Amino acid sequence: MSSLPSTYDGVAAGLSLLVLLTEFAMLRAPLLRSQVRLYAFQSLVVTGLALYVAASKHIDELFVLAGLSLLLKVVVVPSLILRLLRDADTDLAGSSVVGSASAILIALVVAAFGFFAVGSLHVNSASLPTSSLAIACAIVLVAFVLIILRSDVVSQAIGFFSLENGVSVASLVVASGLPLIVDIAFLFDLLVAVVVFGVIMRVHHTRNATLSTSDFDRLKG
Amino acid sequence: MDSIVVSPYGVQAIQVLTILLGAPLVSGFISHAEGRMQGRRGPRILQPYYDIIKLFSKETLVTNDSSWVFLAGPIVAFACYLTVPLLIPVLTTFPLPLGFSGDILGGGFILALAGFSVALSGAESGAPYAQLGASRAMTFGALIEPTILFVIFAVALITHTDLPYALSATIRSSASQMVRPSHVFAAVAFFLVVLVDTGRVPVETHSGTLEFGMIDEARTLEHSGPPLALLKWGSTMKQLILYTILINVFLAPWGLASTGKVSSVVLAVAALLGKAMVVGLVFAVIDNLFSKLRLFKITEFIASAFLLAVLSVLVFYAGGG
Repeated sequence: MSSLPSTYDGVAAGLSLLVLLTEFAMLRAPLLRSQVRLYAFQSLVVTGLALYVAASKHIDELFVLAGLSLLLKVVVVPSLILRLLRDADTDLAGSSVVGSASAILIALVVAAFGFFAVGSLHVNSASLPTSSLAIACAIVLVAFVLIILRSDVVSQAIGFFSLENGVSVASLVVASGLPLIVDIAFLFDLLVAVVVFGVIMRVHHTRNATLSTSDFDRLKG
Repeated sequence: MDSIVVSPYGVQAIQVLTILLGAPLVSGFISHAEGRMQGRRGPRILQPYYDIIKLFSKETLVTNDSSWVFLAGPIVAFACYLTVPLLIPVLTTFPLPLGFSGDILGGGFILALAGFSVALSGAESGAPYAQLGASRAMTFGALIEPTILFVIFAVALITHTDLPYALSATIRSSASQMVRPSHVFAAVAFFLVVLVDTGRVPVETHSGTLEFGMIDEARTLEHSGPPLALLKWGSTMKQLILYTILINVFLAPWGLASTGKVSSVVLAVAALLGKAMVVGLVFAVIDNLFSKLRLFKITEFIASAFLLAVLSVLVFYAGGG
């Protein structure tokens, strides 16, 4: 286990870790805009990872996937959300229940749980190092922490979208040769989520003049 | 000249002398570079030497209420800073005789003892700002400690030892060691630790005179004369020691002497000071790019350093590091 990983494994694990780190950065980001930009950056890293796997393992379908995710997740989705935000003119994310240092520590514990849970499964992949699967699991769990701790619609939407990024990393690890149609189906799921969250943001903001979810318990007929 | 070989003990003495005499130079270079980046001419590069010499010729003032601890603190700290260079790879790739008398944890303990004695000495002065500085320095010192521990864990996992020489050798052994995620993350975490421990910008401004933002600087406000000279000299030495660990253990352990030949030892001294100045430039750029964090935001900064260090260990266990 302690033997030196190959350069390929090292770079792949490093890129996956970068995705995880961006997730942590979202947990810290106080501005909604910066959260969206972090999401765009995270998607860019996921695209880079897909390209890296495609180029090193010669899986041509991944190039298509990388192109699609670059278009959708780096350009379209962030710019849509940023436009919605501009209309809502709210800057700050809803304050979370705990301070951001504590939030990072909580997320760290959850991520460690993910690491060890996957580590005990002994899954081996032909295309990416096993650690990437553990990191993908940690990304998904930290995204859940983000959704739970933040109390505004945008953070929760971004948490959900970045969860999808975690799933993308996992799908690259477990099955980089996944049929293209399945991957594209994932991406369209994301689009549906964007539409749903966009509608929630719009409706919630026009009715209550806020993006905070703490008012959701007052939604009575 | 190549035929003259310095004995290992001699090289070890040169290691201590390099840190002792080179530290004010590196520190002066950083303040000069910082000044240049801000459009000032900046102090002379040799200014720290002049400051130290001047302070040694001044009288020592002691407040009525303070005991011998006030004067002993700077001396103990200075002695600690002279001890650490014996344990870390400053100039050589091969371990020196006294290098095994303490591991990386031992070096950390000695540095912590130095910080503790300076803080104690500051607290002993009875002055409010010195006590505030001492208390803050100890608080943030305690907060950064878990990060240092996890960095050491990462080093220990990668090399199976906790000797700084071993990690240095491991990194030199292959280029892919440098892109190992666990190594990269441990190195970045240690970089942040150095930022905190040397009191650089996101944590503390170096040149500010406002007491409320001070941490390390405030501890020495009541000292004067030779003890202050020792404290100032000591803090430049601490900076160079941390830079040396960062460079020779984590980032770029190249240019070290592999034999005791005079020429290679001289080259190693020059290489170390050169590399330390490059690292110092990076810190000066950070100084100019970022503003100081509010005191209560420093915990967030430390939490991010801790996050990196823990991820480094975790990814190693997951088999990818």
